[in-house]
Amino acid sequence: MSVNVVFKSLHVGRRLLAGNARNAGKAVVQVEQQRLIRTHCRKLAYAKDLFLGQVNKAEVFPYPEIGNEELEELKQFVAPVERFFSEQVDSAKIDHEAKIPQETLDGLKELGLFGIMIPEEYGGLGLSNTMYARLAEITSLDGSIAVTLAAHQAIGLKGILIAGSEAQKQKYLPILATGENVAAFCLTEPGSGSDAASIQTRATLSEDGKHYLINGSKIWISNGGFAEIMTVFARTEVTVDGVKKDKISAFIVERAFGGITSGKPEDKLGIRGSNTCEVSFDNVPVPVENVIGEIGGGFKIAMNILNSGRFSMGSSSAGMIKKLIELSSEYAATRKQFNKSLSDFGMIQEKFALMALSAFVMESMAYLTAGMMDRPGLPDCSIEAAMVKVFSSEGGWICVSEALQVLGGLGYTKNYPYERYVRDCRILPIFEGTNEILRMYIALTGMQYAGKIMTGKIKEMKKGNIGLALGMVGKKLRSSFGSSVDLGLTGKDGVVHPSMAESGKKLEQNVSLFGSTVEGLLYRYGKTIVDEQLILKRVADVLINLYAMTAVLSRASRSISIGLRNHDHEVLLANTFCSDAFFKNNYMMAQLQKHSPENNDANIKKIAKAVLDNRGYICTHPLERTY
Amino acid sequence: MKCVRCLLQLRCLRLVGQSSRSAAQCGALLQSAASSQPSVLHQSQHQVLRHFHASPACAKSQPEPVHNEKRVKSLITNDDLFERVAKDARTKAMFNKVMDIFIKRDIRRRGHVEFIYAALKKMPEFGVERDLAVYNKLLDVFPKEVFVPRNYIQRMFNHYPRQQECGVQLLEQMENYGIMPNMETKVLLVQIFGEKTHPMRKYQRIMYWFPKFKHINPFPVPQQLPEDPVDLARFSLTRIANDLDAKVIVYQLPCTDVTVSGEEITLPHIVGTQSPSQMELLAKHNPNRPVFVEGPFPLWLRKTCVHYYILRADPIPPDEKVEEPYDPERCLDYPLQLDLDLERDYGDQESFDVEDLDEGPVFAMCMTSQGDQATLNQWISGLQQNNPILGKVPTLFRLDAGPRELQGAAATESGHSHGPEAETLKEESPHEEEPQNIVEEEPRRSQGMKQ
Repeated sequence: MSVNVVFKSLHVGRRLLAGNARNAGKAVVQVEQQRLIRTHCRKLAYAKDLFLGQVNKAEVFPYPEIGNEELEELKQFVAPVERFFSEQVDSAKIDHEAKIPQETLDGLKELGLFGIMIPEEYGGLGLSNTMYARLAEITSLDGSIAVTLAAHQAIGLKGILIAGSEAQKQKYLPILATGENVAAFCLTEPGSGSDAASIQTRATLSEDGKHYLINGSKIWISNGGFAEIMTVFARTEVTVDGVKKDKISAFIVERAFGGITSGKPEDKLGIRGSNTCEVSFDNVPVPVENVIGEIGGGFKIAMNILNSGRFSMGSSSAGMIKKLIELSSEYAATRKQFNKSLSDFGMIQEKFALMALSAFVMESMAYLTAGMMDRPGLPDCSIEAAMVKVFSSEGGWICVSEALQVLGGLGYTKNYPYERYVRDCRILPIFEGTNEILRMYIALTGMQYAGKIMTGKIKEMKKGNIGLALGMVGKKLRSSFGSSVDLGLTGKDGVVHPSMAESGKKLEQNVSLFGSTVEGLLYRYGKTIVDEQLILKRVADVLINLYAMTAVLSRASRSISIGLRNHDHEVLLANTFCSDAFFKNNYMMAQLQKHSPENNDANIKKIAKAVLDNRGYICTHPLERTY
Repeated sequence: MKCVRCLLQLRCLRLVGQSSRSAAQCGALLQSAASSQPSVLHQSQHQVLRHFHASPACAKSQPEPVHNEKRVKSLITNDDLFERVAKDARTKAMFNKVMDIFIKRDIRRRGHVEFIYAALKKMPEFGVERDLAVYNKLLDVFPKEVFVPRNYIQRMFNHYPRQQECGVQLLEQMENYGIMPNMETKVLLVQIFGEKTHPMRKYQRIMYWFPKFKHINPFPVPQQLPEDPVDLARFSLTRIANDLDAKVIVYQLPCTDVTVSGEEITLPHIVGTQSPSQMELLAKHNPNRPVFVEGPFPLWLRKTCVHYYILRADPIPPDEKVEEPYDPERCLDYPLQLDLDLERDYGDQESFDVEDLDEGPVFAMCMTSQGDQATLNQWISGLQQNNPILGKVPTLFRLDAGPRELQGAAATESGHSHGPEAETLKEESPHEEEPQNIVEEEPRRSQGMKQ
């Protein structure tokens, strides 16, 4: 029976691939036409405007949709992939043996999952970001497979995809799309995480000028043990204005070039089935044609790859949580204590509400972002993608551990998958840019944008422009007398459904307050805000909440309008989340408006300094001595 | 009873011929005391004692020479006691023995205040100045319950001021030596002086402040410093350079060699410290500018003085300072700087305006028992192994004759002595001769490297 099903699913996958290849040209035209219809005047992305206290509602309302044909196409993909994951993937075995079996990998290749985003003309599935996110929801059911696939296509071959020349695409994408060759992304080095200046791997032009010789070693390379094609970043000498300078360049390196050795796979806490190891390059000759983009342009490529790979984590986490809700709710319903099932206890109910809320918010954010990225034009959704990543990785961690908590001691054993999910989940806040670094990115990018626009105004204020000051005071007075902020989300031209009007108002109020808070911060700190990490963290957290509120409002409004099943539940979730986030935001912004001694920042820094200076916990043990 | 009688006799004898009136009074008292019933004995004894105390007029009326003689005598007695008993050995046991002798000699503990003062003075000599048990025993010398005020008037006025003052003095000495009183001390004080008296107040104050201050020093120096000069140097260097990354390296252990010709050569110890950040600073040093070996500088560890030398350079002149330009392609994940024309508001300046005086970097430090140029040169060549730049940078020796004045005091305790040759060498190289020094120095060091 199961064999039969597998065969069928493989068959579907193969047919799809074949069909895609045949209709490649036609499909592209079709998609483009579809997109042209939805094209509208594109402003900057949504999140940046929030820093100015504005809601760019055209960007996020209505909730992005995909065309009917795309939907059909997607449904065809989803079913076999889901079936494959529920029947063919033995996650416990993968975790235990720390290896994905070859049959499983072959199955994934047959389904075309190694080339989801590679255009059809190069033999991939050519799916949009939205559809990629949908598939990521399923692949995330096994952390090791998800990471293997992500390392291959979200970062590994992304360089070729976004910056490669036509020849490079022709040469490499087809073999990568089928999974015949696996890709890896080699950026991190022992001495260099985010710091590009400390990259030590060096590429030097050979004497005949036909090759670059790469020397150095890279660590924590996912798929590093078996990847045939790697995107490698190395330092190269470039002459800029007659001055020789070291700049980062990106190279496509084949294992077949020789001189590449992979270290022993790392023994990790989670995602144990994925292959992570050190890769060393010893005089690896790389033909000059294999430079991605131009020489010295590697920095931008690396940044773009990293920024574009993150959005799918939202749907992955949501997929995982949805699965865990299913598993743990069954236990809660059947386990009896004191003649009551667990699901009758308030504290257990709270956990499920939390999981449902998180999954709903993550899903909303992920598909909103994916939809924005799918729009024509040059979408700069890097802030949004980073926000999705931060929110979903942290929410995922909490939810997984709550699901485990429902089972209590049972969840802690290896008989159940929860402990594996907890371990796998722990990587999410770490890789693809740690959450700390992404928070810096989110806050600083917004601050830079807002600062450029507000500089003039703030300078006037600092000079003591009476009119401006009076205007500010008036605005403050008005808001303190309770005049509500109207940014056009509700009311006559409103985009939020009336059943969530109150939540819409809350969002508006938060956004407006956020705008003035940002202005205040810029006034107070100017460009030195870069060093105020505790403040930037709060700014990022507020922004993430604002974006999440927007996403749930937009999604639930759409669900009501088109009458999706259980849309009333969505409204409930949206309203619950919004009122919760509203309070959190108000609290954080109140802290932002205070000075460091009042909002505890000064104390926190002092504590940390004392501890770090002594490199340890410095309090005397209570039993050290008597009076 | 016997005690009272003796006391009275003594007192009377001393007063004989001075005041017939008071003598008569004494006689009367003696009679009354002797004839009283055992049941009232206790009371009468107190009366007697109080009576004695309450008659300062008598004492004052004593002619001067006698008074003087008595005081002098008692002092001599007590000091003498210590001198006589502890002629050969000055130990805790001896000290205790003296106290025992005093306590047993006279049941009335006559002259106990003087004895206690004398004992306090002698304590350091016997090496018991940090011994709580000895202090308690000394406190035990006071007679009990005699000085406890019995009514509000006594309590209001300074009751037995000399005794109280002596008690305070004893506690003060404990405080100075950092000895914390214990429960026994408190019980003794209550027995001797009673609650709410000056010594008790002193005790309470000590108990309030002492636990707070006793361990307040974040960089405590141990009571017993290490004996070994290398260990001492290691300890001192880590104390000066409070950098957890800094490594203390022993470049040379002290040893005595006998050469072929039979001469005995003592090699001094050389212990140095350098942190990775200092190494980094040194690596960035402009090789055209000299580095200086300076010293010796004193470091006091309790009563010991040790000396150290530093390797430093002049502060970098402002025109040579290179600020690393901001590279927008530095951080892969977020902007390291904002491109804004806004400065921090004055209201949010949290740093104080401190005038920074650029003193120039210190690259390394060392300690050696012999601060001559040859020894320090050995240190520099040791440093050179980890800091190759030292081979290219001119090194100047600016050594003071420094610690000679302190030598007499410090040498015995620290074992840190500069041999006579070292001093002469140092004197030969004052600041004016620095250029010559370089010339002299360079080849020698490079030779050392070749070997």
